Amino acid sequence: MTTATTTPRVPVDRDPRVSLTRMTGSPVLRLVVKRLLMAIPIMLGVTILTYWVLSLIPGNAAQQLLGPEATPEDIAQLEEQLGLNRSGVARYFDWLGGALTGDLGNSMVSRQPVSDVLGDRLPVTVELVVLAFVVSLVLAIPVALAAAHRPNGLFDRISMFVSTAGLSVANYVLALVLVLVFAVQLGVLPAIGYTPLSDGVGDNLRGMILPSAAIGIPLFCFYARFLRGDLVDQLQQEEYITTARAKGIGPWQVLLRHAFRNSSFGLITVVGLNLGALIGGTVIIEQIFSLPGIGQLLLQAINTRDVVVVQAVVVIFALVAVVANLVVDLLYAVLDPRIRHDSR
Amino acid sequence: MTVVEPAPSAAYVPELDQVEEVGPRRRRVRNLGTWIPAGMIALIVFACFLGPLVLGLPRPIGGNILESYLPAGSPGHLLGTDPNGNDILSRLLNGGRASLLIAFTVNVLGLLIGGTLGAVSGYLGGAVDTVIMRVLDVLIAFPSLVLTLAVAQALGPSMTNTILALTFFSIPAVARVARSAVLRLRSMPFMAAAELAGTPGWRVLLRHLAPNIVPQLITFAMLGMGIVIIIEGALSFLGLGIPAPNPSWGNMVAEGQLSLSATPMLVVWPSVALLLTVLSFNLLGENLRARWGGR
Repeated sequence: MTTATTTPRVPVDRDPRVSLTRMTGSPVLRLVVKRLLMAIPIMLGVTILTYWVLSLIPGNAAQQLLGPEATPEDIAQLEEQLGLNRSGVARYFDWLGGALTGDLGNSMVSRQPVSDVLGDRLPVTVELVVLAFVVSLVLAIPVALAAAHRPNGLFDRISMFVSTAGLSVANYVLALVLVLVFAVQLGVLPAIGYTPLSDGVGDNLRGMILPSAAIGIPLFCFYARFLRGDLVDQLQQEEYITTARAKGIGPWQVLLRHAFRNSSFGLITVVGLNLGALIGGTVIIEQIFSLPGIGQLLLQAINTRDVVVVQAVVVIFALVAVVANLVVDLLYAVLDPRIRHDSR
Repeated sequence: MTVVEPAPSAAYVPELDQVEEVGPRRRRVRNLGTWIPAGMIALIVFACFLGPLVLGLPRPIGGNILESYLPAGSPGHLLGTDPNGNDILSRLLNGGRASLLIAFTVNVLGLLIGGTLGAVSGYLGGAVDTVIMRVLDVLIAFPSLVLTLAVAQALGPSMTNTILALTFFSIPAVARVARSAVLRLRSMPFMAAAELAGTPGWRVLLRHLAPNIVPQLITFAMLGMGIVIIIEGALSFLGLGIPAPNPSWGNMVAEGQLSLSATPMLVVWPSVALLLTVLSFNLLGENLRARWGGR
């Protein structure tokens, strides 16, 4: 993956020996710098791609706001107000300049600053994602441990088949099934809607159970399968397991203290890599449960051609994916000395 | 004695350390594990493409509104009818045909384009590799649903545009798989042999590398079929895939959602179809992976 030939692009000090010792002195720091530099073109590419793709959609915010009855003069006037009469390239660089100085612009539809809109919406999505992660990991870890305890045993086979089946369920289908069972048939949980945290933690959580389960359950299946596979590999192939067993450590101890510790690396990677896909998947779930998160915001903004808002949401999604990858790499380097010393 | 050009590695030779040793009993189980999902897929494909003809089902659209909400088992309507009086079984099979067609096309295109990009990138290395992989990194970091939503909005909902949008996002994933497979093969002896024999690059790619990475790509494509079917359903669910009166599993679920409490079966049928199809592809993919080794 890493190209060994790239020289670290850190500022060169006057005395070459100083910079050399500094760089070799902290490989983790060097890795951070390298990965951050790699993230910049990716983020730029994503923002350019967004602008370009949105410019392909026929109609702009001015036309959408004024509706089909509007006269061309009205539209032209509003376009001028919104700055839509200028070229796409000019608008992109305006936006980029603003974004780099922390100003994400104003929504073309509501005229609110985008940062305010995001401030309202982001906590909902974050809560959803965090709860989904909690649901999935709390279920996945014990199931994977129990399955790996006796590979090919009854529990292993049943749980692995169930999780393959669970992986095959689309989250929007799962969401509807959950609504059907828990809201329509049993009537114990609300089907849609969001209660802000300020109106009571209990009500808020009750509303979030179904959406976070709809995202968390397929995720649980994925993690359980992955962790189980990794644990079995560790148990069967690694010499430190043989050593631990030879010392007379019990099977559960070996599993928990030795194999699981190592396997948690792989789990961290997968969780990190998943985060980008996961946050994209919230779009449809927020739509089904009418949660006012950024996924819903994104759909609304695409419909109204509110380019500024779409751009902001896409940047957040991409940033989460890129940062999650970065954090995973760094955690690796921090936790595993072999990588820390090999990475160049 | 004649000088022989190193034999092109026509068939995939599994690396011994990758494939688990299996006894005859495990092998039989494994065969079943391949043939059962493969048979399911064949059955589903047959039902979706020929079923409506063979069974003489009514058209999936333009039903009689007076015959709406018929229960399952009504004469002439095995699974009943939907709010517009259309036969549910007919919509299910026709919708499945659209889903399968889209998933198949997207995966073939993704394999061809992504596979070529990844293989060339891995084989050539250097600057070409860096440029290709960085561009694909952008595509990977770009939220796929947003991309497909935007493309669907830009070009309007239709089958061709759905295929286009989904292909765009399947390319980087395939390319990564192909690239890592090629990188693993690059140090194999037959590669050095080919190079020493002066085989031109395109020939190495086509005759030596391609046959070796195809099994892995096919395994990946099986999992990809499931993913594409689900995402196509999501697009149709949001009204951006197959346009409304025409059936697709996704928009059938979305329609059923409107009367979820009164007629839950409207959601259940397409959901079950979706689940069975995706599950079959996933099981087949998993099994091929265990067979052929590698990831």
